[in-house]
Amino acid sequence: MARHAVILAGGQCKWGVREAHLVDLFQEAAKACFDDIPTLKPKDVDGIIVASSYAGRCSFQVNTAPVIAERVGVKPTSICTRVDVLCAGGSTGIILAKGLVESGVSDIVMVTGGEKLYTPQKWEVFYSELASVDHDWDGTNGMGLPPPFFSLTAQEHMMHYGTTKEQLAAVSVANYNYAATNTVAQMQKPLTLEEAMNAPSVVPPLTLYDCCPITDGAAACIITTDEIAKKFSDRPLVYIRGTAQVCLNSVSANFPGEHLADWKHTRLAGQKAYAAAKVAPSDIKVAQTHDCFTISEVIEVEEFGFCKKGEGGEFCGSKQIELGGKVPVNTDGGLLACGHPFGATGIRQGIEMLKQLQGRARHQVKGADMGLTHNLSGANAEHTVLIYGREPVK
Amino acid sequence: MAVLGIPILENLYPSTMDMWPLESKEFNRNWQFYENLKQGKLTTTKCKDCGLVSWPPRVICPECYSENLEYTDLPNKGKIIVFSEEVRGVPLGFESPLIHAVIDLGVAPARRVLSRIVNCPAGVLKRGDEVQLAVFPVPAMPIDKGKLGTVMFERVFFAFEPVKK
Repeated sequence: MARHAVILAGGQCKWGVREAHLVDLFQEAAKACFDDIPTLKPKDVDGIIVASSYAGRCSFQVNTAPVIAERVGVKPTSICTRVDVLCAGGSTGIILAKGLVESGVSDIVMVTGGEKLYTPQKWEVFYSELASVDHDWDGTNGMGLPPPFFSLTAQEHMMHYGTTKEQLAAVSVANYNYAATNTVAQMQKPLTLEEAMNAPSVVPPLTLYDCCPITDGAAACIITTDEIAKKFSDRPLVYIRGTAQVCLNSVSANFPGEHLADWKHTRLAGQKAYAAAKVAPSDIKVAQTHDCFTISEVIEVEEFGFCKKGEGGEFCGSKQIELGGKVPVNTDGGLLACGHPFGATGIRQGIEMLKQLQGRARHQVKGADMGLTHNLSGANAEHTVLIYGREPVK
Repeated sequence: MAVLGIPILENLYPSTMDMWPLESKEFNRNWQFYENLKQGKLTTTKCKDCGLVSWPPRVICPECYSENLEYTDLPNKGKIIVFSEEVRGVPLGFESPLIHAVIDLGVAPARRVLSRIVNCPAGVLKRGDEVQLAVFPVPAMPIDKGKLGTVMFERVFFAFEPVKK
């Protein structure tokens, strides 16, 4: 009988500027994960995948997986490894775990991700971000911190499609308001359009609330098969129906689209994931897309087919991303308000999808039975998409 | 020159904290790119078998996997397609204003090169402006040569600057 991967449970620690060590954050996330499924114990887990990109630079710790496995009391016998795909590390871990449990290599895998980015001196993480892009060719141009790149992207979207600053601001307003009651989010305050429009400049046209913050945090989830999941939980099963990960370039100069607002690789990742999941964009009831910047979400809703290319500004500005809209997006607050500890973000998105599809989300989308999560990593170098559903692919 | 908090690193060079490339022959098979830059030339590699010009330079052709590559000149002048200006909060290692631009050098694969604009105050640049190559020195790299001691290897990098009208 075919084995179908499901996400069984998940949890995250409080995200923000944390007075804690990297391994502390992973322990807090593991506890939150097992608290979500009291019938499952660490001894039941036979594999662990750790997603962390900055463990090496900010915590002086490589070969991170055995360190984390030991701290969280898991003794893996099928897989014990780390993935580093920056912002898509958590999602990549889930993709790999799906393959491992469906092939029978593993039965129950913990996918956990985390970063401790705030070090004793503030300059270090900003400087270390030069490692996030192609070091010799983009880092040398001061592209480590992403606001300039996304300023160029926003300007080209405005040039080609007439997108406005108000439409960008509408994304931050929606996502901050989704997070206002999220007790584990970095930002927990409602935001008005006026506040967003009058915020301090970062790199024009981007202002403060257009950019996600730098975040310490960790998250963990459990990936297993449907048949095993039934032994531990009576909740509805949430299947990982289809996935894709597309990388067409790394150096910013080799960007694959016609211009920086034409995200060909995102489109391709969406198409591949839809095909694998045997669904269409119109089947998606809720989405968690990579809102590292407001302009990112505007472009993503276009490239995933929630609206036509070029109409993402109008889509976001007319509340189609809010509850009651066509596709509510980033219903837990997204990167903009939850924060973005790189390796943990894809797991946070998976947990929100688990809750949405089980009908227990804080901002519950009515009738949510199919959802999409997405990450962008590097200097817009790679796109990762997962489609979750209440039924397996038949 | 002690490193604050880590006295054992006094007078030592941690290359893992170096924001510039390790450009010397001992550490980089594309060292000639930087030597060409020192001569004021922007170059990249071209495959002598299939003809593909790559950016950035590399040691194998990504199309046909030939190792038979040669350096070829790229134009030194181009036009700004779009640019951004960061005045406040410029990261360590760069000066305000930090200006980035997508530059059309007129030939593939350099129709949309993302680089930095230097020697230019904030607020004067326009889309369509002509810019030219600007080569500048960056800190020399101390290489441990054993009994010969430490040799300082001179380095340069590049950006673009407005063409004076």
